[in-house]
Amino acid sequence: QEPRHLNSSHSSQMPHSPVNQLTLCSLLQMGFSQTQAEEMHEAALKSRGKHVPSVLTALFVLGFNPSSVLKILQKCPEVYSAKGEELQQRILNLRKMGLVEGSLQRMISHYPKVMVLPLKRVNAVSRLLKEKCHFTTQQVTEILRNSPEVLEEDLAQLEYKIQYTYFRMGVRQAEMVKSKLFRLPVSELRCRHSFLERRGLYQTPDKKGQTLILNPPLKDILCASEETFLMQVASANAEEFNAFRKLIARELEEEDKDEYSSSDE
Amino acid sequence: MLCEQKYGALINSFSSASGEITDLEAEGCRDFITIDCSRNEVHKSSQDPTTPHNDSSDVESAPLQTSITPDIKCLVFPRGDISRFKPARPDSSGILGYYLLDAASVLPVLALDVRPGQTVLDLCAAPGGKTLALLQAHSVNHLWANDLSVSRTGRLRKILQSYVPKECLDEENIHITCIDGRELGMREEKSFDRVLVDVPCTTDRHSAVVEENNIFKRSRTKERQKLPLLQIQLLVAGIQAARQGGLIVYSTCSLSQLQNECVVQQAISVAQEELGITVQVQDLRWFTQRFSDTFHFAPQLSVGELVLPHLCANFGPIYMCKLQRMN
Ligand SMILES: C[S@@+](CC[C@H](N)C(=O)[O-])C[C@H]1O[C@@H](n2cnc3c(N)ncnc32)[C@H](O)[C@@H]1O
Repeated sequence: QEPRHLNSSHSSQMPHSPVNQLTLCSLLQMGFSQTQAEEMHEAALKSRGKHVPSVLTALFVLGFNPSSVLKILQKCPEVYSAKGEELQQRILNLRKMGLVEGSLQRMISHYPKVMVLPLKRVNAVSRLLKEKCHFTTQQVTEILRNSPEVLEEDLAQLEYKIQYTYFRMGVRQAEMVKSKLFRLPVSELRCRHSFLERRGLYQTPDKKGQTLILNPPLKDILCASEETFLMQVASANAEEFNAFRKLIARELEEEDKDEYSSSDE
Repeated sequence: MLCEQKYGALINSFSSASGEITDLEAEGCRDFITIDCSRNEVHKSSQDPTTPHNDSSDVESAPLQTSITPDIKCLVFPRGDISRFKPARPDSSGILGYYLLDAASVLPVLALDVRPGQTVLDLCAAPGGKTLALLQAHSVNHLWANDLSVSRTGRLRKILQSYVPKECLDEENIHITCIDGRELGMREEKSFDRVLVDVPCTTDRHSAVVEENNIFKRSRTKERQKLPLLQIQLLVAGIQAARQGGLIVYSTCSLSQLQNECVVQQAISVAQEELGITVQVQDLRWFTQRFSDTFHFAPQLSVGELVLPHLCANFGPIYMCKLQRMN
C-alpha cells in the first residue's frame, strides 16, 4: 500500500499540486490513505501552516514513508507551520554535527521537535558542550543522538549539571556520554547523588581522582527505573527515598533563598 | 542522620490556649503516645505474660510497670511526612502552648514512669526539654532540676518561665541548682523516687552536622575520652540518690556503645562493689514494641534500648536504660 520509493514518484507529482496549498487530493497522491489524508488535512488547516507541502517534501526527502510522516506530525504539530527551506537548513545543520543517515531519521522520528528549534539554539548548545564543557565533537554527536532533549535545556542549567557531575561527582565526559545524564533534570541527579553520598555510598574523588570506596558508575545511578536504582545501587526502599526527595527539595529551596537574601544585603 | 531532624510538639498542659492540639491535628499531627498505646491495648493482655518480669514485684507491683504517664502528650507528623511545626503561641498570660523537641527524647521521661506524689531528681537538666516533660505529669510532688553549667541552667530557668505559670514555679515544687551532679549522689542519698540521668555525651546528631565547637575536634580529644568516666560517675550518683525501690533512667543522645551499654554495665558493678547498692535492669521491650510505629529501635542491645534515626522517622539517636534500686 505504502510506496517505499516515494522520493522519486513524489517529486514528479509535486509540480501538479499548488505549492502553497494542500488539498486532500494532493495528499492522496502523495501516498496517504484516505483516513490519513483527512486527518492530515484537518490538522494542517488547524495549524494554519502556509508551507505544508514543502514541509512534507522535506520529510519525504529524508526517506520517511507517509505513515511515518503522519506520526511525526502527530507528535509535533508545530512542524506544520515551519517553512520547508528552514527545515532543510536545520537538517543540514544536524548532518554537519555528525548525525548521519539512519541516526538522523531516528532522531527526527523520536524527537520531531528538533525540526522546529532555531539553528541558533542548536548551535549554542553544541558550542556550550564543546567549548565550555570540553566534550569532543564526537561526544557531542553522541549526546545529540541519544538525548536530543538536551537541545531544549536551559543553558545555565545544563552547564551547572555538567559541572556538578564533573566536580562534585568526579565523573569524566566520556562516562557522562554513556549515561542518561542529558535526559534527566539536574534535580533528579542531585537527589540521587546526595542520597548515595549521605548513605556513605558515594565519595567525591580527591585531586588525584581517588576515593576510599568504589563509587557506583554514573550510568547505574541514573539507570532506567528508580526501583533498580534503589535496589541495586542505594540498597534502600521507596519509602525512604520518597522522604529524602522531599527533604532535599526543601534543602535546595532554602539554599536558594539564602543566596538571594544574602545578595540582597 | 545527615538529613533534617524530625521534631515533636510536647504539649504544654500549663497553657490555657485552647485549640492548640486541634490546630496541630488539623495539620496532620498525632499524639504518638496515645496512638501507639491504644493500638497496643488490644494485644496488651496477651503480651504481658510473655514479658519477662524481674522479680521486683515485692517492691512495686509488676503490671503497673507497663503503664504510661497519661498526662504527657507529644504530637508528631506521621512517617515520611516532613512538615514542620509553627512556633508555639503564647496564651493570655504568656505561657507557650507547646515545646518543640526531638520526640524520642520524651521516651526516657515516659520510661521513668512518675507516679502521683513522687519526688524526682533531674540530674543533668539543662536546657530543660525533659524537665518540662516531667512537669507535665502534674502529679510530681517535688522536682529537683540540676545542671553543672551556669549558662545552661539560665536557659533552663528561661524555658520554665515561658512554659510554667509563676505560681507553679515556687521552691516547694521546683528546686533548681547548679552543682556537679556527681556530688549530689552523696548529699541526697536515698531521697528520690525517680531519678533521670540524661548525661552529657557526644551528641551524635549535632556533631554530625555542626562544625563549631564539635566534640570530635582534636582539641577536645581529652574531654571526649573522659566522657564515659563522667557518665559512669553521674549514673552512680543518680543510683545513690534513689531510694530503695526507686527507678533510675539513664539516657544519652549517642549511638556509641561505650557511652551507652558499657556505661550502664560499669555503673552497675561500681554501685555494687563500692557502695553495696544492688540495681536491676528493667525490661523495656514492651515499651519499644508500643512505640515501634513511631520510632526505629535498634535490635538486640545487651542492656537498654536505642532509637535509631531513620529517613522516614528522623528522630534520635536516643539511648535509654531503666534501673531499679533494690536495697
Ligand atoms: C544532654 S544534656 C541534658 C539535656 C536535658 N536533659 C534536656 O532534656 O533538655 C547534658 C547536660 O549535662 C550537663 N553536665 C555536664 N557535666 C555535668 C555534671 N558533672 N553534673 C551535672 N550536669 C552536668 C551539661 O551542662 C548539659 O546541659
